[in-house]
Amino acid sequence: MKLEVVNVKKSFDSKEILHGISFSAESGRALGLLGRNGAGKTTTIRIIMDVFHANSGEILLDGKKFEPDKNFIGYLPEERGLYPKKKIIDQMVFLARLRGISKSKATENAKKWLNRLGLTEYTYKKLETLSKGNQQKVQLAATLVADPDIVILDEPFSGLDPVNSRILRDVVRELISIGKIVIFSSHQMSYVEEFCDEIVIIDKGNIVLSGDLHEIKMEYGNNRRILSAAGMSLDELEKLINEKMSDKAKATAKKKNYIIIELLDGISQWDFLDSLKDLDIEIEQFGLYEPSLTDIFVARVGKNETEVPEDEE
Amino acid sequence: MKNKFKNIFTILGFELDNYFKSKSFVISTIVICVLALAIMFAPRIINAVSGEDSAKENESEGDTGAYGTDDGDTEKFVYYDPEGFLTPDVIAMYFPGDVFESCQNVEELEDKVESEEYAAGFAVNSLYSYDYYIFNKSMSDTNSQTFSELMGMLVKMKYCEENNLDINEFIEIEYAQIEVNETVLGKDSAQNFWYCYVLVILVFMIIIMYGIMIATSVTNEKSNRSVEVLVTSTSAVSILFGKVFAGVLATLFQCVLIALSVLGGYQLNRDEWGGALDMFLNIPSEVIITFAIFGIGGFIFYAFIYGAMGALVSKTEDLNKTAGSVQMVIMIVYFVVLFNLENVDGIIMKVASYLPISSYSAMFARVAMGNVSMPEITISAVILYASVVLMGIIAGKIYRNSTLRYGNPIKLSHALKNLSKQD
Repeated sequence: MKLEVVNVKKSFDSKEILHGISFSAESGRALGLLGRNGAGKTTTIRIIMDVFHANSGEILLDGKKFEPDKNFIGYLPEERGLYPKKKIIDQMVFLARLRGISKSKATENAKKWLNRLGLTEYTYKKLETLSKGNQQKVQLAATLVADPDIVILDEPFSGLDPVNSRILRDVVRELISIGKIVIFSSHQMSYVEEFCDEIVIIDKGNIVLSGDLHEIKMEYGNNRRILSAAGMSLDELEKLINEKMSDKAKATAKKKNYIIIELLDGISQWDFLDSLKDLDIEIEQFGLYEPSLTDIFVARVGKNETEVPEDEE
Repeated sequence: MKNKFKNIFTILGFELDNYFKSKSFVISTIVICVLALAIMFAPRIINAVSGEDSAKENESEGDTGAYGTDDGDTEKFVYYDPEGFLTPDVIAMYFPGDVFESCQNVEELEDKVESEEYAAGFAVNSLYSYDYYIFNKSMSDTNSQTFSELMGMLVKMKYCEENNLDINEFIEIEYAQIEVNETVLGKDSAQNFWYCYVLVILVFMIIIMYGIMIATSVTNEKSNRSVEVLVTSTSAVSILFGKVFAGVLATLFQCVLIALSVLGGYQLNRDEWGGALDMFLNIPSEVIITFAIFGIGGFIFYAFIYGAMGALVSKTEDLNKTAGSVQMVIMIVYFVVLFNLENVDGIIMKVASYLPISSYSAMFARVAMGNVSMPEITISAVILYASVVLMGIIAGKIYRNSTLRYGNPIKLSHALKNLSKQD
């Protein structure tokens, strides 16, 4: 299956929020939908789910108009919300039945997912009696109870402890492996890097970057290398490179254990290493620089801004 | 469309389950029903405990007629009658069972009344004049009125004596029993007034109390964010319709149970009550049917409005900001109908009986007490139910446009302006 968002525009009160965005997501590959707060991610998700209507553009599934009634979407909203005073099994069955699942099948699915997420003992308990982490797992179970073809997870790891994060990781991997379309929206870039093969970065209602994550990283790290030297601080090394090798490369950033250098046009890494031998330094690390998703994100949407997404891991 | 229709019943079932499993709903229903039954059985229980025969008591009350002041408690009175007009026979006729003691002067009479040993005092100045003394006068005090009747009898006795007439014949003629056989061919407004009064108050209370319950239910889903999942699972219109109809059904269930407790309890104990509540509870079937048709229609009409008002706010404590204006309209309708109950065929009630905001109350009052034809009732009912459908559609759009907007309450004018737009 292939879900396509084609040239979607959306306005609220005559203010255009989405300016014609296009991207696609495929079965068995997770898509990371990224953007700063207010960039238009949630609006995009709501248009896909037919909660909002686009002013123009269309949503296609395998080339045909997408009908959410026929192809279920499992949605885990950023604003978590279920019924605190209802029994967990009752509300899960209710949500599944809204998707057209029979009561018996809904009960079976609910119990299966509660068991899968280690919540069996809470099946007949009221939601409000559970811890925040367990409530979050119930929310995930409710998302998956109708066996959706498309799963949209908005900040799924928010508020989970490491043990529950691991359980959720396994579930997400399982969903991807069984061919679901998974759209993953998060500010925790490490999770996006872990699960997503493709990313889409939205900024102020426009797509500023999209494509295969590995290729994007390669492109961003193309002429950059990492370098560290024994017996020399990173400041000394940076100064040395910029003073003695300014015709070959320049040091652009410092990380914890190495500096990043950018090779000048027409300079290969072998040219650079030849020149480096003359400086009489003992090379500790030298290699390709692969930027983190946070670096790429900040480079594309965080220019001149102090607020950047958190990368918790 | 089929799936959306099906979802209305799924939501309705879920919401009804919420109501019937809600402790406050169940406990309030049981408590009110038990209380109603206890009140209806109270005369029977009191009679059983005191061992009195209520029927006999009623009979004795009937015998006292115009002179009836004997409530079983003996009271002491003091009087000053220097001319000696009062006689024991006449006193016993008007104050049976009570004790009358004479005194020597007005000061003594005042002292005795002030001591509160005596219920009241009478100083007779002449056959046509007396002074009445009482320490604390209650709202139900009728001693002065009874004593005036007593003095009137003394005047009549003196007149008969002076004109050589038989006082007994005079009394027989004055108090001649006239037999009246009344047949009301139309409507008896005097009899219908009281239950109309009760029903107007009842439907007002139902709309106000249960309307807020429905609005709260809608707001709670915004407040706990469960609406986020709901609106992505089914259409906003089906959510609102399901919630409103569940609220209406839960309300009807509770009201019918309470009505059955009151009416059933009264029927079982009508003799013990001596038919005293007939004027409130003996309601003709055509009025009950009209009340049900217009009452339910009006309630659903306002339930949709309350549902939309609930969607405009994100916190239940903000509900008054939007629902207050609706309550104001309901209050105005309530007072207009109540103040015009004695003139149900007036132009105000005629207009009110056609407007959907007021026909739920005004039309059944006209049916009960006024002249209204079947075509008029039918037209009013059609207007009401067409308005219910229209209001459902409008409320659904407001709900859809407002339900995912959190924060400050959305202004009603803004919500109405955006009706033509669709997010």
